[in-house]
Amino acid sequence: MLDYDVVVVGAGPAGSAAALKAASAGKKVLVIERGPEPGSKNVSGAMIRKDFVSSVFGEDIPFERKVDTLKLSLYERDNPINIDFRPNNLVTTGRLKLDKWMSSVAENAGAMVISKTTGLNLIWDGNNAKTLVTDRGEVSAKSFILAEGVNALLSMKSGIRRDLNTENSVETVKEVYSVKKEDINSIFGFPDENTGMSWRFIMTDPLVAGFLYTYKDSISVGIGSPINQLVERKIRPEKLLDDFLDKTGLATKLKGYSLREYSAKVIPEGGFPNMNVSRGNVYLCGDALGLVDPLTFDGISPAIASGSLAGTAALEGYTPDIYKYEMMKNTEISKIAKERKLESEFMSGNKASEYINMISLLLKNWASGDLSGIRGTVIENYKNIIPDMLSFVINMR
Amino acid sequence: MKLEEKLYTLRYKKDEEPHLSINDADKCIECEKENGFPMPCISICPANVYSWEDNKIIIGYENCVECGACRIACPYENIHWEYPRFGKGIALRYG
Repeated sequence: MLDYDVVVVGAGPAGSAAALKAASAGKKVLVIERGPEPGSKNVSGAMIRKDFVSSVFGEDIPFERKVDTLKLSLYERDNPINIDFRPNNLVTTGRLKLDKWMSSVAENAGAMVISKTTGLNLIWDGNNAKTLVTDRGEVSAKSFILAEGVNALLSMKSGIRRDLNTENSVETVKEVYSVKKEDINSIFGFPDENTGMSWRFIMTDPLVAGFLYTYKDSISVGIGSPINQLVERKIRPEKLLDDFLDKTGLATKLKGYSLREYSAKVIPEGGFPNMNVSRGNVYLCGDALGLVDPLTFDGISPAIASGSLAGTAALEGYTPDIYKYEMMKNTEISKIAKERKLESEFMSGNKASEYINMISLLLKNWASGDLSGIRGTVIENYKNIIPDMLSFVINMR
Repeated sequence: MKLEEKLYTLRYKKDEEPHLSINDADKCIECEKENGFPMPCISICPANVYSWEDNKIIIGYENCVECGACRIACPYENIHWEYPRFGKGIALRYG
């Protein structure tokens, strides 16, 4: 049987960061990936923080466009309130290219990456796993890292975590349209093909978080909505996306351009720190731990941060307590833990519309010069939620 | 654009072995009585994998985009959900 120091399941950002860490320390590392190549099963917007990704994987990130504008549109009924930010350091990226690149960095550090291989089961001896059974045979290792994504089948089969439920998960659907560079520039008023934007939309009743990202010669759009709400109202996700595109006017902008890809993904809205992070010599990271920032939608940075830590955990033989403690010390991960309360309020429904109504009222009063309205209506009615609302808007960025 | 046309944009290789199945068909009948049509698996699936024919769920697993929402949405934890084997299933270009 093949024998390794560390076996990593999943060649996404978390798995590649873990493999890079362990291989750089001279360990014999195997990464298995269920897709035909790294990234081919992975869905996100996708936007990354360039300096953070570079700090782990190096400088030559295959990115699409810089995000010069981050626009937030809050819909109170049909009229949005728009807020523009000018971020630094954000870029859009396609997951296939990005994940292949990250995986190749891990390979260059000495990790072996085998794709088209699915992990089926871990064989345990007491509290330590000995062997991973795959569809292509068995492999044994001193430790295992489960960077297996949101559908964390091995983690669940091993009793390390439970499945998500309808209250703590969001279903997203996404479409990518092929749009010529020059057309993208003229639609959004960009001076050149390096300039780009990301656009977030929040709508209530039903609660919908929409997004748009500009790539070099394509545009990705999509929506996410809590699964419990979709199920209770019998709303089909693809119908919600069509309605979103109509309501925002994006359907008109995209008219005539061809759809290149349709995809879907579940986003976890619960998990770390309210779950086990490891068992014996098996360490979870990334989406398998529910590590997606609920406000920025960024799952890639916390995946990389937790993957690197999982690599160290495997090298050092961390206990669950130490692994969890090290994660809480990491800013990428601890900020998600801090946002869990706000997130669950949001997911339960009422807070989102309260925030949006308040922001909308505040700005309307401000625009009409009605400062007593701000003091009277807004501060009086909403004073309890102002701190939460401000942290929502600030973190959204 | 119809959903079927959207699904045509995906590269797909079929695993002959279905990666999705129903554990207990009686639970689906109970679910239909309890929740009415369309049941949660049918309405949440963004790829029309599930349909209801003759009091039975029919699974078109070759449409599956591997998101996992059906497994989470099923009120009876009645969907056996695995990944396609050997690199089969969908292969995204943008992701």
